[in-house]
Amino acid sequence: MSIKDLIPSRFGRKEVPVRRIDDPFRSIFADFDRMFDRFFSDFAVEPLSTIRGFSPRIDLVEKDDRYVLTAELPGLDEKEVEVTLNDNLLTIRGEKKEEREDSSGSYYYAERRYGSFERTVPLPAEVDADKVKAHFKKGLLTVELPKSEKVLKESRKIKISSE
Amino acid sequence: MTATTHEIEKMDTSPVSQATVKEGNGRTIIPDVDIIEKADHYILIADMPGADEKTLDITVEKDLLTIRGRMLITIPENHRALKSEFRSGNYQRAFRIYEEIDRDGIKATFHNGVLKLTIPKSENARIKKIAIESA
Repeated sequence: MSIKDLIPSRFGRKEVPVRRIDDPFRSIFADFDRMFDRFFSDFAVEPLSTIRGFSPRIDLVEKDDRYVLTAELPGLDEKEVEVTLNDNLLTIRGEKKEEREDSSGSYYYAERRYGSFERTVPLPAEVDADKVKAHFKKGLLTVELPKSEKVLKESRKIKISSE
Repeated sequence: MTATTHEIEKMDTSPVSQATVKEGNGRTIIPDVDIIEKADHYILIADMPGADEKTLDITVEKDLLTIRGRMLITIPENHRALKSEFRSGNYQRAFRIYEEIDRDGIKATFHNGVLKLTIPKSENARIKKIAIESA
């Protein structure tokens, strides 16, 4: 790969419509956004053993009366996700599967991750397990975890005494 | 996990992705994709969790295929972030296609946060099987 290959066409270089399967940096689908990214990642080749399976990214926020957890689970539906709560440990389990009809053929990009996952998130305070609600929409799982009465009472007490 | 977060940070500061960001309001998220070639078409699958169907925008301009979508998450007021591995923003990614495709035949579906494009090859680009006549 020459340095010229890394310069996108809008900087003045003429694109040549050549199909070069042997060169992953300039295949039929040249990636606009990640060109420079790939250039730098060239220097740090990941060993095969570190190739990641799928693990969802999560957000956890605390509100006055509850915690809200959001997890990115693209390609899964609600039946494939299991959410459990055990002693203030929230666990999300599932498997991201590859569609078989799609997977046969030659790959130009294979960035999406598959496989089974399990993530456990400790919650900082006690929640009311009976009032936990989870819903799933457009590949995002949202879990609402109201704090327990006991925790709410304690935090109220603190507020009053600090005034 | 750390690797993924780091990757996003890096992409935002790279000169290429900055130049491609046209819309304001929020960060640009580069979705992970699979692109698979079949005999007469390509399949492009992009993970875009949280993207809203109505904001999905797929364009082909000359040889540049661009996918866009906006993640719509309402961030509640008065909250404290305890874990923040992803953020809302705009999905955007562009590809140059070096082979003739049938622009009008592109089909898109969006299901459970996954965008799937079926991109037919043009007649010229299809591999033709040549029948061998027996003498």
